[in-house]
Amino acid sequence: MKTNWGILFFRPFEKIAGRRALFWGILGLLVSILLSFWSGYHYHGLLHYGAAPNDALWVYVVEHLVIWLVPALLFLLGGLMLSKSKVRALDVMGTTVFALLPMLGMNLFNFLPPMQKLLVMDVADLVNPESAPPMTDLLVMLLGTVFTVWMLIWLFNALKVSCNLKGTKLVLWYIFAVVAGDVVCRFIISWFYSL
Amino acid sequence: MNEVKGRLPYKCPSCESELKVSKLHCKECGTDVVGNYELPLLARLPEKDQRFILEFVKTSGSLKDMSQKMELSYPSVRNRLDDLIEKLINMEELL
Repeated sequence: MKTNWGILFFRPFEKIAGRRALFWGILGLLVSILLSFWSGYHYHGLLHYGAAPNDALWVYVVEHLVIWLVPALLFLLGGLMLSKSKVRALDVMGTTVFALLPMLGMNLFNFLPPMQKLLVMDVADLVNPESAPPMTDLLVMLLGTVFTVWMLIWLFNALKVSCNLKGTKLVLWYIFAVVAGDVVCRFIISWFYSL
Repeated sequence: MNEVKGRLPYKCPSCESELKVSKLHCKECGTDVVGNYELPLLARLPEKDQRFILEFVKTSGSLKDMSQKMELSYPSVRNRLDDLIEKLINMEELL
């Protein structure tokens, strides 16, 4: 059978959703928790990652649960309000957690020496010409964002397929869910850091 | 030689307007019925949609069975059905 790479890489939810997506997504989330724990990279929000004041394993678990459940609940809310279709929570939860799988690539990337150097750097070090990392390191850091973009594409398709949204409704709710989701995630996660 | 079965056109190839039936022919006795008849609603759908409806009926309306048969996820099949329902409602309103 001919492999459709477009579906495989960009629109996986045409083929997988519901329980199967939930299973693989949660499995990926567990692996991601361990990889993040070992690399020292925390998820402060949906789009932010780096060092954190608390390196306990439970903090990584909470971070991962928050960055899954907050966008998933916002997607579900959008689906219930805007979609004409009957939206199943199982599909929204499953596709959203599956859409976080590219994080695994990002987590592996975070083991590379330039990413480990970045972890202990201040913003001031980055802009200071004397302490700024070399261009090759910056390129490696930039390449890592490919996985974030990939995750965002999958999240877009998760909302589109699980809630059957189209056009302006889809684009506007997606932007709102990602931006507001990131803010809410950061707020909740920073509260856990203070515990 | 095999007889080539043409697809029923539902739109005018020249101006894209909807086509009507003006002539029916009996293959047995050669009788022609000429008039001005509307195409049934389902016959106006593209062949892909007609096939989808046929499969849907054959699976007793089970989206789960449909998704297995079509190798698509459950919400993908449900979305396709919902889009088709919307299309049919719009077509009915135009009648």
